[in-house]
Amino acid sequence: MEKSNESYLRWVHRFGRTGTTILIIYILMIPTIICAIYDIFPPISSVILGGIGVFALFIPIGIAEVLSYTPLLGSSCYLTFTTGNVLNLKLPCVINAMKIANVEPNTPEGDAISTVAVALSSILTILIIALGVILLVPLQPLLQTDSVQQATTYMLPALFGGLFLGFLGKGEGEYIVKRKSTAIILPVLLVSLAAKLGILKSGLEGVAIIVMLPITLLSARILWKKGVIEVEKRR
Amino acid sequence: MSFQDVANSTLLYLLVIFGLLYIIAFASVFLIQSYKRCLELGIDKKTIYKVIKSTLIFTIVPSIAIVIGFYSLATVFGIPWPWWRLSVLGSVAYELMAADMAAKGMGYNSIALMAEANDPQVFGAVMFVMSIGILGGFLVLLPFAKKMTTGLMEARERKDNTWGIVMTSCFMLTLIAVFFPLMIFDNPVSAATLFTSAFIAFSLGYIAKRFRLLWLNDFILALTLILAMVASVGWSNLLL
Repeated sequence: MEKSNESYLRWVHRFGRTGTTILIIYILMIPTIICAIYDIFPPISSVILGGIGVFALFIPIGIAEVLSYTPLLGSSCYLTFTTGNVLNLKLPCVINAMKIANVEPNTPEGDAISTVAVALSSILTILIIALGVILLVPLQPLLQTDSVQQATTYMLPALFGGLFLGFLGKGEGEYIVKRKSTAIILPVLLVSLAAKLGILKSGLEGVAIIVMLPITLLSARILWKKGVIEVEKRR
Repeated sequence: MSFQDVANSTLLYLLVIFGLLYIIAFASVFLIQSYKRCLELGIDKKTIYKVIKSTLIFTIVPSIAIVIGFYSLATVFGIPWPWWRLSVLGSVAYELMAADMAAKGMGYNSIALMAEANDPQVFGAVMFVMSIGILGGFLVLLPFAKKMTTGLMEARERKDNTWGIVMTSCFMLTLIAVFFPLMIFDNPVSAATLFTSAFIAFSLGYIAKRFRLLWLNDFILALTLILAMVASVGWSNLLL
């Protein structure tokens, strides 16, 4: 790996880890300070009773999401996971930014441009939410009409149809991966079956990605060895 | 003090505002350094500005959707707590599900009934549960993110072997393999919206290419999102 790339990566991961650790401590400090000042510490039993379902479901989902999306996010993963809204905002921003800049994930260029996009998007979202807080009285009735609520329910399919379409084609960047879509024939069939049988539901995407990733990799490996999937330098 | 007094207390506002300022500073350092890194890598300023413009325009609609979620949560949890949760770490879906599960775990039939009980200790418990519940991902992120990302970058850099390039494509492909069937089988409106979105993106891409409207490329994602969301309202009226 190139020297300047190595030193940037060393910096970005050190800064990301330190900043994230401080934030985690702060996240836990807020309820602690509030409970201490107002003397409202809940009994541990009520935290356990209230939390057992949440912890059992969301801690594995959180782990699965990090494992699933970090390979695409690169070093922007720290800011992405600390500011949340990964699927509906940060991941599309990263994919869009790489498409516009004509770069690919897991390259130094893709990594840097993703971080620009995630950082900007995070700052703007914080400012828009703050504006929403300030304008709560006039905006609330307007944004809670049936049509607006209905439209936001389908935000993810409205986003993903267009977002992923380009990727199934030739894609961006230095190389073209020919017939790459063949690698997902089996995963698509398996996920479709699981969805049809009701085993897999929305909310469990992160877990499904972790299960399907080895199948995609194995299919791609076999198809690449057999010459079905080919890599060509873009002219 | 009641549930609502604590939920809308000045102290909580101050803690949230301080936390948000920290996140803005954290993101700003990332922004400056990654911008410099882009220039160092030879990405021209024009391309970076295109990315910046497209990112800012695209971010607006999903952020408004987050504000809508904030209004739903604020009716129960007051203003500062949902403001914090949706600006940092969380998402509307997680917050609603986590709050609902926490309420039921503590013996209330719904979040609304939990708030009605007006017990400030319950608000304390909910704050802890919602905060701890979302930290799972960091158990992996902090120790392994560097290894994961640099390992993949090294695999891709091996020019003598094209497997690295195929392998890195697999992550995006798996995302498609999971999300598309799930959205198609979720309900007819979701499926129709997904295909409408793909059709709009394809059409806009074609128009940009055919009529050499290069500027349009920067707005395709934002326009697709807005138009497909509008279409989803029509599909809902038609299919549900």
